[in-house]
Amino acid sequence: MNNKFDALKDDDSGDHDQDNVSPKDCEKEKSEDEEKDPNTAKKKTVVPGAGEHPLQYNYTFWYSRRTPGRPASSQSYEQNIKQIGSFASVEQFWRFYSHMIRPGDLTGHSDFHLFKEGIKPMWEDDANKSGGKWIIRLRKGLASRCWENLILAMLGEQFMVGEEICGAVVSVRFQEDIISIWNKTASDQATTARIRDTLRRVLNLPPNTIMEYKTHTDSIKAWEDFHGLVNASGGR
Amino acid sequence: MSVSSQKTTSRAIPATRRVTISDAAHMPHDYSTTPGGTLFSTTPGGTRIIYDRKFLLDCRSSPLARTPPCCLPDIPGVTSPAVPAAKSDSAHTQPALNNNHSQPAEKGAGEDAQFEMDI
Repeated sequence: MNNKFDALKDDDSGDHDQDNVSPKDCEKEKSEDEEKDPNTAKKKTVVPGAGEHPLQYNYTFWYSRRTPGRPASSQSYEQNIKQIGSFASVEQFWRFYSHMIRPGDLTGHSDFHLFKEGIKPMWEDDANKSGGKWIIRLRKGLASRCWENLILAMLGEQFMVGEEICGAVVSVRFQEDIISIWNKTASDQATTARIRDTLRRVLNLPPNTIMEYKTHTDSIKAWEDFHGLVNASGGR
Repeated sequence: MSVSSQKTTSRAIPATRRVTISDAAHMPHDYSTTPGGTLFSTTPGGTRIIYDRKFLLDCRSSPLARTPPCCLPDIPGVTSPAVPAAKSDSAHTQPALNNNHSQPAEKGAGEDAQFEMDI
């Protein structure tokens, strides 16, 4: 029978250059393509239902998890990330949120991503490539509350930076959790300062909390340095 | 006579007004207004649909917000219970989710920690 888990994998991989995909991965993509019917329904833009409260933007929830033992690469990142679903109204948001585990209860090396519909939670996406993110490292036990406050502020348009916000991420790691919010233009200091100030206000953080801004260009470079690769095919 | 009528007590201009909404039915139908009155005709960056945290949390109790979403993917441990040991018992708890084949991959969960340095 159709494996629901596989069928829900991102089917946009055809948009990306696949030069350095192993033959095994190619086979995998093909079998998924044949089964992708359930995904076509998801491509339709969601709209608020009758009596629901529309949001300024539609958003998509994503989930990713590091597969143990598998080499990390941009390709495997994209294959490991799964769309949970998109929503257009406050009520639709709660339907998803209430049926998802709280980030503080996730196991392993996992992330929830909440991005505007059409923006992939990847550095390389057109909306992200000139952008960056504010990062806040949290001791264990705070992630669920901070994540909820962060995404409610984003959905409710509390940041007041026009179109600049791209999405938010909560990353569950071994000794700490990390929340971040991504914006389009890393060089726009008025915007990044306003995002920082809003974060301080809505997250109710202790005054000594360290907030760090990181451009995606720097993230990509650090990633490449760490993995020691910009390989022959020009991919990574 | 006009003197006495001009005498009024001074009050601070109410800068904010908090209106408690206990039910979605109390919401205005016109989205150019916000609960409790229009706060901004425009906002920095243009007109926006703004909701504060409290309002969003209040919407959670609406019946419209409680039906399960359609097409929710089954990701054990994320959108459904992790079912770690329940596999050996029969899967009576989750009859609709027969995604058993992906289970073994989830078992190695505890071993990720060594990768945590890559953020």
